[in-house]
This record gives sequence, structure tokens and C-alpha cells, in this order.
Amino acid sequence: MEKRRTGFCFLAAAVLSFPAWPCTVPGDATRLESSRYFLGFKAEAVEVARHFSVDVTTCPKPGQPQPEALKVDAQMPEHRHGMNYAPAVKALGPGHWRADGLMFHMPGKWELAFEVTAGGATDRLVATYQVGAIDFSKDEIAKILRHGPWPPPLAPDPSNRVSGKPEAVALGEKLFFEPRLSGTGSVLCATCHAPFRHFQDARARAFGLELVDRNTPTVVDARFHRWFGWDGARDSLWAQSIRPLLDPREMRATPSHIAGTIRALFPKDYVQAFGRPVPQDDEEVLVDVGKALAAFQETLVSGRTPFDDFRDALERGETKTSYSLAAQRGLRIFIGKGNCSVCHFGPQFTNGEFADTGVPFFVAPGKVDPGRQGGIEKLKQNPFNLLGRFNDDRSGSSAVKTKHVEVQHRNFGEFRVPSLRGVAGTAPYMHNGSLATLADVVKFYSELNEERLHADGEKILKPLHLTPQESEDLRAFLESLSAPGDSTSAAP
Amino acid sequence: MHRLLAVLLLTAWAAHAQPVMPTQLPIFDAHLHYSHDAWELVPVPQAIEILRKAGLKRALISSAGDDGQQRLHQAAPDLVIPELRPYRTRADVGTWFRDESVIPYLEDRLRKYKYAGIGEFHLYGADADLPVPRRMVELARERGLFLHAHSDVDAVERLFRQWPQARILWAHAGFDRPERVAEMLKKHKNLWADLAFRTDHASNDKVDPAWRAVFLQFPDRFMVGTDSYTPERWHYIQGHADWSRRWLADLPRDVAERIAWKNGEQVFASLLQPY
Repeated sequence: MEKRRTGFCFLAAAVLSFPAWPCTVPGDATRLESSRYFLGFKAEAVEVARHFSVDVTTCPKPGQPQPEALKVDAQMPEHRHGMNYAPAVKALGPGHWRADGLMFHMPGKWELAFEVTAGGATDRLVATYQVGAIDFSKDEIAKILRHGPWPPPLAPDPSNRVSGKPEAVALGEKLFFEPRLSGTGSVLCATCHAPFRHFQDARARAFGLELVDRNTPTVVDARFHRWFGWDGARDSLWAQSIRPLLDPREMRATPSHIAGTIRALFPKDYVQAFGRPVPQDDEEVLVDVGKALAAFQETLVSGRTPFDDFRDALERGETKTSYSLAAQRGLRIFIGKGNCSVCHFGPQFTNGEFADTGVPFFVAPGKVDPGRQGGIEKLKQNPFNLLGRFNDDRSGSSAVKTKHVEVQHRNFGEFRVPSLRGVAGTAPYMHNGSLATLADVVKFYSELNEERLHADGEKILKPLHLTPQESEDLRAFLESLSAPGDSTSAAP
Repeated sequence: MHRLLAVLLLTAWAAHAQPVMPTQLPIFDAHLHYSHDAWELVPVPQAIEILRKAGLKRALISSAGDDGQQRLHQAAPDLVIPELRPYRTRADVGTWFRDESVIPYLEDRLRKYKYAGIGEFHLYGADADLPVPRRMVELARERGLFLHAHSDVDAVERLFRQWPQARILWAHAGFDRPERVAEMLKKHKNLWADLAFRTDHASNDKVDPAWRAVFLQFPDRFMVGTDSYTPERWHYIQGHADWSRRWLADLPRDVAERIAWKNGEQVFASLLQPY
């Protein structure tokens, strides 16, 4: 390992057990924390191979001694070397330091380390710092920008008259977690759409009251879908919300059971949400339950991701970024040789349509999942589709897609192109959960089995033949599409 | 009372005696594959059952890995008409026309088994004049076999130049426009077209006007086909047959019958004899 060069300063000031001044870490500083100290630092513009300085503020936690010395160092863990220059650390005042002469001489991941010494002990606080950005071309930048901004403008669903209405959201949330809606009283929406699992279940194939044929998709960002379910058998979030209620394998309820439950348990909530007493018509109540559930699910919008920050910085013309180089390289594959963004495009990372990428679709010996082909047939027969009497959109514009969609032979075995937002939290993958990890998904496309694709099918579907590094980069990019902590914000 | 009983008995007898709807068009499926990856997932008895349940009169079947269709033919010689594909696996699709080892493979299979044709093969443009396709055409000529070509117009023209008397089934009608298909059918009396994996000729069970004109002009030159290019698609044969019957019902009955099954029967069934 190359000789480490560090900056070190011993503060000769009196050692105090408690700060004699109000110590706060500046709000615009990058904040670190150890068991004894808070530390904030602000760096000047950091560019590859250019010297820079860092201002550091250290604040002891209650009962901890005032820091005596600060050492600043940096190294590249992936390259196993440090800097070529020794920074000098100067005390500017109690708890306030400045380190000059730092330089990251290579692009990549650096660890900027601060060692705070006091009372014979040293706390090491480390910040990861990504230096340098890939020099994306104008064309690449244009492609990248199309994947944002995030979140997009939120508009109410015109087919659902209570979309966005707080009282309906409140009722929908209660119903989402209400087991008595199920025929057995034992299953709730959240059984499969568990909030702590990004509103899915982490199973290969869903299990409500019985095992079903497909993987549970997350309901986060569902408000942005054009079609619902892996086969698009429903054309609105509220119609989709009705489907599992009545499916005997999932919640096994009937319209009369649902209506009875609302009349018995939620009559006031219903009045507040819909502005009328619970109707006598069971089917009307069922549809309104779907609409309340949809109103709640519309509030589940994924948070901003590292990719979004990078994308917005690119749009502003900024070159400084903390977005990892691996993710940037993966992004270049995603929009370039991988052709991923042909289908996974736009802020939602999906075209909202359906594709056959060669994933087998046998469900059991002698039984296949027809995918989109069966979905269109179900859609046309569904009494709750947007062409029916329950659509609250009198303009008819919301039903255009339903009116014009038609089965084609290629639809057999096609499944919905899923959004990739939050994808790191929704394993396993594909319509049948047949791929356990994102690495498996990348491998699937790297080794794509062309024999399963029609000779006149989608021409972009070719094995990517990725190197191990490229595979890892693409995976890193996909992981960057999740909000830190897998946070899901409540839409207004 | 006696009259009512008679009506009931007659109804019951009719239901029992006619398990297949009398108005259901038989289908000659001119574009099926039973390739190596299908043999375990759709075993021979199940495959035959699927064909019969779908109301197929006959099926023109080729396989990547020829053993599959031979098994089907042995199980149901009345139903399955084999054609020989120049592919040992489907991976040969994009390379076979430059692969000289394909020729001894074809020769060996042609010595051992009877076929109605060679195909479906993928061949485009000038590749049709490469040595391997040329030899394949010679083999077909020697045995009087059909060529089932997944080709563009250029390749079809080149095949006819090699063998002007060739009989060619143009897979997917070349995915070409109806007007262009009509030009080709008019130019080549020995050209037929299958409509596999196309949906542009019918929408909501109604025949597209441009295609209707071509069907009426050349009623004896079209066939339907499912194209079971993956094992799963064997389970679409029924759906495809039903879909075909629906749009064919929009044509005059005699034209519909020709496209549904009579053309295939007339052209291919005789090629199987003797077996």
C-alpha cells in the first residue's frame, strides 16, 4: 500500500468536558456521527486532480470531551491507495477546523476520513465521496433526462370521483388493512402488499388463501400505470382493487359480503368518503370499495432516488456528482448497448405496455399463463372496465385505451413491462418470480435465450453478453433507482 | 305429451351424436413446430389431443430436431403432415444457410422419412443463392417437395429462379402488404401463403378490406397457421383456431372453407402417399 499522507492538527486549547459555546453542525454541511461526536464538513468544488479544502465542525455529544485534535485522510478502497498530497489541518476555533491541500487524483470512489482525538481515544468518521462523472454525450444526456423529473405531476384519476379526496383515502387505508373484507376474515390487501416489503410479499408467487400463478407486484406508484396486473386485465386502479377481493384464491369474498361489511363496519366512513349513505346495490358498494382502495393506493408514491438527483444535476449542467461511477456506467449500458430504456423509459421506467422477453410461462404441466392475450379477453368481459357504467369520467377520454385495444397473436405470453422504480426492494422478479435477485435478472438478459423469441419479434432482444464488470455496473444502476431507505412518500 | 317426449329424445340424441359443433370449420394448420424443447413439456399424446380438440383436420408440422414431428406422425398419421426443417436446434435459424453440415443432415433425414416439404426455413435476399440453400432446393426438386420459406420477396424470387417449377408456401405471407402479396401470387402460380402470426388481415373478427380483396382474388392460395415457436404456444392452437374461424366467418363460405382447410388438404395431403 502506498504511503498514507494525512493532515493532522493538535488543538492546544484547553480540554473541556463540555463545550463552552453553542456547538451546531451547519445545516448545509455533510453530516457524520460517531458515538461521541457530530461532525459536519463542507468541501469546495471537488474535481478530479484538483486541490481542494474542507471546513470541518465537530461537536461533542453531551458528556463527551471537547476534541483535541483532528486528522484528515482519504483513500480509494477499490484501488488500495491514498492521496498523493498531505493535507494540512488548521484549527480555526473551538471545534472548527480547515484542511487544505487535499486532492483526489483519480476519478472513482474515495473515502474521506476524519479522526477526532480526545481523552486518549480516537473516533473515526468516514464519508464516501464519488469523484468524477462519466462524460455522457449530448445524445446520452437527452436519453437520461427522459427518465425524469421525479415525482411527476400528480393528477386525480377522472374515472374515480373520490380520487384524491382525503376522506376516501382514509377509508381506503382502513380497508387496505381490514381482514374482514375477505370471505374468510383472515386475509387483507396488506397480506400480499406488505408495507414493510415495498408493498409486495417477497414471494415468487403470491399466496392469499391459495397459491396463485403470478408474482405480487408492488402497489407503490400504481397510480401511474396504464394497465393493471401482469396481464393488464384491468384498466383502472379501482377495478384492479376489486379483482383480488373476489378471486377465490386470494380473498374469496362476494359482492354481498363486501357490501355487508361496509354497512356493518364502515357506514360513517362511507358517507364521509362518498357523500351518500351506503347504497342497497351490492355491486355499487363493491365498486366504491375499489375506488376507496384506489384513492389510498394513489398516495403511495416512491421517493426520490440517487438517480433522480444525478438526472436533475445533469439537467442543470452540473458536473459534480455523488452518483457512483458504477451506477453511471450501468446507466450508460441501460440507455445504450443494453437497449433497456427502449421499454423501460420515462419517469416510471416503463412504457406501460407488454412484452415477451422469453420468460417461460408454463404454470404447471399442461397449463400455461396466456399473459396479455388472456388479459385482453378478461378486460373486454369485465363489468368494471372503463367502458362500463361505473366509470365516473363522462368525457370518455379515460376509456380510449380500452375501446381500442385488441388481441394479437404475439400477446400470448406477454406480460406487463414493470416499472423499475424501487426495483431493489421488490425481489423476486418477473411475472412468476422466477428470478431471485437483480443479478439474476441482469444475467437473464445477458444470456437471453433467443430460441424463445419469434424470428419476427422484437429486434432489440438480443443477448447482451455483458462482462462481469458490466453486469455489476448494470445492477448498481438498477439499485440506484430505489429511494434511500426504500422510502415511499405520501402523495398530497 | 308424446310429442314433447319425442322432442326431448331427439334433442338428447342430437347432443350425444354431435360432440363437435356442426358449423365448426375444420382447420388445416399449415404452420406448426414441435421442436426439441417441446417434447417433454408437451408430450406426444398431449400434443395430439390438443390438435384434435382444436378441430384440426390436419397439421403441417416441422421441428428443430426432426425426431419430434416423426413421433407425432407415428402417433397420428391421419393428422400430422411432416416437413423437414434444416435446423437441428433453433439456434440454426440464423446460420444454417452457411453451414455445410446441414446438407448431409437433410440428405440423411430424407433417406429415412417421407416429407411433404422442406421448411419452414428463414432465408432472406441474396442468401438464397448461397451453396447450402441451392443444394436444399435441389434436394426438394429431386423429391418433388414443397419449400416452406420464411423469406422476403427477393429470396422468394431467387428460389423460383433456381427452380421455376418450385412450389413454395410463403410463411407469414412474407409479413408483406396485401397488395404486394397479391402481386407475388399473380406472378407465381405455384406460390401459396400462410397467414401465421399475423393479425393485420382481421380486426374484431372483420376482414380488412385490402386483404378481403386479395382473399377473394386468390381464394385457393392462402392457409392459416398458429406458429408454435415455443412449447407454450401449443396451448394457443385452440385459441388460434377459434380466432381463425371467427374472421373467416366474415368471408363467403366457400372462400372461408378453402382458406381454413381445403387449400392445405388439396396441396399437401396427396404428398404424403404412400406412407
